[in-house]
Amino acid sequence: MTSSPIRVLIADDQQMVRQGFTVLLNTQPDIDVVGQAVDGADAVAKVGELAPDGVLMDIRMPELNGIEATRRIAVELPHIKVLVLTTFDLDEYVYEALRAGASGFLLKDASADKLAEAVRVVAAGDALLAPGITRRLIAEFSRLGDRPRAPLKVRVGDLTERETEVLALIAQGLSNAEIAERLVVAEQTVKTHVGRILVKLGLRDRTQAAVFAYESGLVRPSGY
Amino acid sequence: MRVLGERLPRWPRVLREDLWTLRADPLPRSARLRRAPHVVLCLAAFGVVLGGVAQLRDNGHLGTGTAFPIALAQGGAVVLALRRPIPAWWLSTGATLVGAVLLHGRLSMPPAMPFTWPWTTAGIIAQTLVMLLLALRVPTRVSAEALTVTALVTYALEGVWGAPHYQETGVIAVALSALVWALGSALRGRREARAELGRQATLATEERARRTLLEERSRIARELHDVVAHHMSVISIQAQVAPHLVQDPPPELRENLEGIRHNALEALTELRRVLGVLRSEDGDTDALDRAGTDPHSPQPTLDRLDALVENTRAAGLSVSTRIVGERRPLPSGVELSAYRIVQEALSNVLRHAPGATASVEIGYVPYGLRVEVLNSPSRRPVPPSPGAGHGLLGMRERTAMLGGHLLAGVRPDGGFQVSAFLPVTPRPEAAGPVDADDTSDVKDHTA
Repeated sequence: MTSSPIRVLIADDQQMVRQGFTVLLNTQPDIDVVGQAVDGADAVAKVGELAPDGVLMDIRMPELNGIEATRRIAVELPHIKVLVLTTFDLDEYVYEALRAGASGFLLKDASADKLAEAVRVVAAGDALLAPGITRRLIAEFSRLGDRPRAPLKVRVGDLTERETEVLALIAQGLSNAEIAERLVVAEQTVKTHVGRILVKLGLRDRTQAAVFAYESGLVRPSGY
Repeated sequence: MRVLGERLPRWPRVLREDLWTLRADPLPRSARLRRAPHVVLCLAAFGVVLGGVAQLRDNGHLGTGTAFPIALAQGGAVVLALRRPIPAWWLSTGATLVGAVLLHGRLSMPPAMPFTWPWTTAGIIAQTLVMLLLALRVPTRVSAEALTVTALVTYALEGVWGAPHYQETGVIAVALSALVWALGSALRGRREARAELGRQATLATEERARRTLLEERSRIARELHDVVAHHMSVISIQAQVAPHLVQDPPPELRENLEGIRHNALEALTELRRVLGVLRSEDGDTDALDRAGTDPHSPQPTLDRLDALVENTRAAGLSVSTRIVGERRPLPSGVELSAYRIVQEALSNVLRHAPGATASVEIGYVPYGLRVEVLNSPSRRPVPPSPGAGHGLLGMRERTAMLGGHLLAGVRPDGGFQVSAFLPVTPRPEAAGPVDADDTSDVKDHTA
C-alpha cells in the first residue's frame, strides 16, 4: 500500500465538485489526484494522456455522459478502474454504468473517509464496493436488461464447479477473505480462482462478475 | 307470506308518493323530430275534444254543459301530459269516471245503438296517449301503478257496478293502455341506458384528463426535486471541503460546517424518498424520453437553448431565436422551466404545424423572464395527433408552479403563439449562483 499512491482523475461538469473531491482526496497520503476533466469526452482524452489508476466519474455530464465515457475507457484502457459518482443510488443509470464497465459507484455526498475507502477498494479490486447496496442494485435491475450480451450459457459452462461456486459468492458481495473463510481455503487460492474466472469470462473485475452472475441466472435476485 | 304481510301496509304510502304529485316531467324536444310530436299531440287533443263532445251529446244524450267539460278535460289531459304526465293521467281517468257515472243512468233502456261504456272512444284515445307519455317519462314502477289503477277503476265500473245495456269497452281500453305502457317503458329503458353510457363516457374522459394532469405534475415535480437534490449534494461536498481550505480552522467553524453538511444530508435523504415515490408513480420512464431528453445529461438550462433549436432545425422546422435584454443566470427552476416551455412549444409546432416557421424569443426583464414561441400557419395538412393538449398542460403547470402566467392561442394569421412570464425576485446581495462555473456573471446578476 505504501509503495506508490493511487493516481486518480476526477471527471465532473461542476467545478465545485471537482475542486471539492480534489481537496478531500489529496488529504490522503496514499491517493494523488492527477487531473480533472470537465465532461465525458474530456475524461476519455485525459485518461489516455495521464494514465491514472482510477477515474471518479459523474454520470450526468454534457457532451459525452459518464456512462458512455465509462464504456469507452473500459474498452480502450481496461486496466483503468472507473468509480461512478451519483446523486441517486439504486438508479437504473447506475446499473447501466456498471454494465458499461464501472467497478463501483458512490453517492456524491459520501463522507471523505468513505470516498477515500472507495478509491482504495476499487483500485485493489479484491472486494465489491458497498456489497449490500451493489448487490441490491444488480438484483433489482438485472431483470430489466434486455440488451443482447454474448451467449451466457456457453461461458458459464467453461467454469469449473469450484469457480462457479466462487462466482456465486462474489455475486453475494463477499470479499476474497470472506470467500476463503467460507470455503475453508487460503485467500491466495481464492485470488487465483477469481483471476481465472475473470479471464475465462472475459470480465475486468468482480463487479462485472457480479453483474454477469445475476444476468446469466447463476444467482437469483431473491433474498437480498 | 310474512314478507308480503310486512310490505303490504307500505303500499298505500308508496302509491301516494308515486301518483299523488304535480311533478313536472316535460317531454323533451326530439333531436330528429324537433317539435313535431308536440304538434301532433295537440292536434290529437283537439280531435279528442271535438269527438268527445259530439259523442257524449249526440249518442250519450248529455247536455252540452256537461259534455263539453268532460271532453275538454280528456283533450286537455293529452296536452297536459306533455308537461305533467301524472296529473294528466289523473285528469283523463277522472273525466272518464265522471262521464261513466253520468252516462250510467241512460243505459237502462236498450237504445237503437248501444253506447260505448265505461270508456268512450275519445276517452280511450286520450287515455292511450296519456299512458304512452307517462310510460315514456316516469319510472316503470310508477307507470305500472297508474296502469293498475286504470284497470281497477275500469273493473269497478264495468265488472262490479255494471249496467243493463251497453257496448263494453273496458277490456279494449285496458289492453290498449297496457300495450302503450309496454312500448313507452321499453323506449324509456333504452334511452336511460344510452344516457348512462354517455355519463360513463364523460366520467372516463374526465378521469383520463385528471390522470394526465397528475402525471404531468409528477413529472415536473420529479425534475424540480432532481435539481434541488443536485444542489444539496454540492452543498454537502462544499461543507465538507471548506475546513480543509484554511489552516487550523477554529472548532466553531468546523462545528458549523458539520451542521450544514448534516442538514444537507438529511434533506437529501428526504429528497431521495420523495423522488422514489414520484418515480414509482410515474411508472414508465418514457415520460422523460418523450420530451426528447437525455436522462444522463444534467437538467437543462437556457444555456442549452441553442442545442435545442439546432435539434429542432434538424427535424425540419425553420426556427429563429432572439434574446432580448442582458442574459443573466436565473434560479434553476426558472431556467429549467423556460427551457422545457420552449421545448414543448417547438415540439407542438413540429407536431401540429408541419412546414411552418417558428420564432423563439427570450426576454430578460428586471423582474423575470419572458418566453415566447410563435409559429406561422401550417403549410401542410395537419396529421391528427392523439397527444394534443398534453404539452400545453405541462407548460401551464410549470408556469403556475413558479407563480407566473402563460398565454397560448391561435393568432389572427392562423399560426399559434405561446407566451409565458416567469417571475424572478431580484436578489439584493451578490449571493451568486451555486454553480461556480458562472462566477463571471455574478456582477450582471445583481443589477
